[in-house]
Amino acid sequence: MISSLESAPIDVLHWFLGLLGSFGVPAWILAIISALIIIGTIIGVFLSLFALTSVMERKILARVQNRYGPNRAGPFGLFQPIADGIKMITKEDLVPRTADWIVHFLAPVVMMVPALLVLAIIPYGRDMVPAELDAGILYFFAVGAGTEVAVFMAGWGSNNKYSVLGAMRAIAQMISYELPLVISAIVTAMISGSLSPSAIVSAQGGFAFGFVPQWFALTPWGFTAGLIFYICALAESNRSPFDLPEGESELVAGHLTEYSGFKYATFFMAEYVGMFAICGMFVTLFLGGWQAPLPFLDIIPSWCWFLGKVCFVAFTMIWVRATLPRLRIDHLLAFAWKFLLPMSFAAFLSAACWHYAGRGPLAWILSLAIVGIPYLLLGNAFTNRFSVSRRTYLFSE
Amino acid sequence: MVTDFLKTCCADPMKLIGEWFVILPALVLLLAAAAAVVMRNLIHAALLLTLSFIALGIVFIALGAEFVGFVQLLVYVGAVAMVIVFSILLTKPDQLTKSRNLLSGFAPAAGVAVAFTALAALLGFIFSSPLAKKPMPAPASAPVAAIGEALMGDYVIALIVLGILLTAALVGAAVIAMEDKP
Repeated sequence: MISSLESAPIDVLHWFLGLLGSFGVPAWILAIISALIIIGTIIGVFLSLFALTSVMERKILARVQNRYGPNRAGPFGLFQPIADGIKMITKEDLVPRTADWIVHFLAPVVMMVPALLVLAIIPYGRDMVPAELDAGILYFFAVGAGTEVAVFMAGWGSNNKYSVLGAMRAIAQMISYELPLVISAIVTAMISGSLSPSAIVSAQGGFAFGFVPQWFALTPWGFTAGLIFYICALAESNRSPFDLPEGESELVAGHLTEYSGFKYATFFMAEYVGMFAICGMFVTLFLGGWQAPLPFLDIIPSWCWFLGKVCFVAFTMIWVRATLPRLRIDHLLAFAWKFLLPMSFAAFLSAACWHYAGRGPLAWILSLAIVGIPYLLLGNAFTNRFSVSRRTYLFSE
Repeated sequence: MVTDFLKTCCADPMKLIGEWFVILPALVLLLAAAAAVVMRNLIHAALLLTLSFIALGIVFIALGAEFVGFVQLLVYVGAVAMVIVFSILLTKPDQLTKSRNLLSGFAPAAGVAVAFTALAALLGFIFSSPLAKKPMPAPASAPVAAIGEALMGDYVIALIVLGILLTAALVGAAVIAMEDKP
């Protein structure tokens, strides 16, 4: 029973293909059909996750801000995504007269493509990788680079000063945060000796002392790299506190200003699917992928663990959004270049020392020191610049 | 003719599909690159150039050079295209749409003729060279691990020299961009 749940999705697929095969469908058509079924399932799961998150995010934000949130459409406002979808589809599609209409039209499409493509290499469960690639992590970042082109197209094609400003900010932010993101991901590849996500997941298998999972996030270098990856993931998916490209109070909506109706919805969708993809990558690289946190919890199927972890990471992202105020653009870029990048190098060195010191107690001390000392020095250098002086009020008191 | 085509199709359809995975992106690559040269609108030209970078990456991947293809996408789409786009964004907008034609009359046609003559001559030399007469080597599979070992083993000095060169370029850029202290 338990083992059948574990491989249930694959078994269903094989049963269906076997059924088709018994009707005499040639093998190459079967291969195409099986690929299409897998693609359809992944897109379906992620789009329904997107619909669910769009309402959960508003609910959680409302809870944090002490209000109700959406509660009119259906029980607890659960049908809100349907209402939103109908609203988005029936809205008028406005294109500014001076816009570069081809670029304006293509931008949401180009935005959606990388968001869906990167889902191909994430290991969703034991033996459940849609595309087993040797260089899976490289693929993830290579395809993700397309997002920047889409943001630029949206900003330029709209022919609006707020759009261009927003796009420039977004691209500057994405390029800056991509460096620490990639370096912190490379650290895990270095330790597990492979660029393939499934190899990295299996390198995190097993339990120390019989109950402590050997996830990379639970080592000094892994914790540092994981935190850097998480912060950069927030910035890459343009989420608060790094959502300045769309800062409503200063830029209207950045590169999305001139979009309405379904084009806007496509952007929104791509952003959320991209967020889930990068959460999935974070879980794969640092939180042990589909592995259970405790040995006896293995009875729950691996893909449930993966989905649960991804949802938890997405929840923390919403939590961060509700808690932290937006940064200023120069602070944001300085934070990436002057703090995150050196810290990711430190994590890199720390991981190398951890590996060659034998991964024992000595390795722990060494790698803790290599991560900790730069953190203290850099942190001091950063906080000393902003000395808080007593505020004096001219017209009150 | 058609039945022959269908026969080859059904005999080994995957191979046929695999061939089209190379031919189609290659066509897109050529068309996009040509259009990028001809386009008057600079932004459209830059975006078409980006499309040709992407198509080149797909050609590499379809030919089995996964690593090269991914690096092509990562470096050219993620970095080079963005540098081009940024430099366009930072120029004056009225220079973008009205880029003057420097050559007129017969000059463009003569330029194209010279380019094609040079290309034909070089292709002739290449195909008559002893290298072209060698038999085609068997398609080599290059797993990422093997590329990594080659880079860190036999070619480690070249890799380090490249790294130093890039670092020097980065430091130079930082020095140029640095504000002069009064």
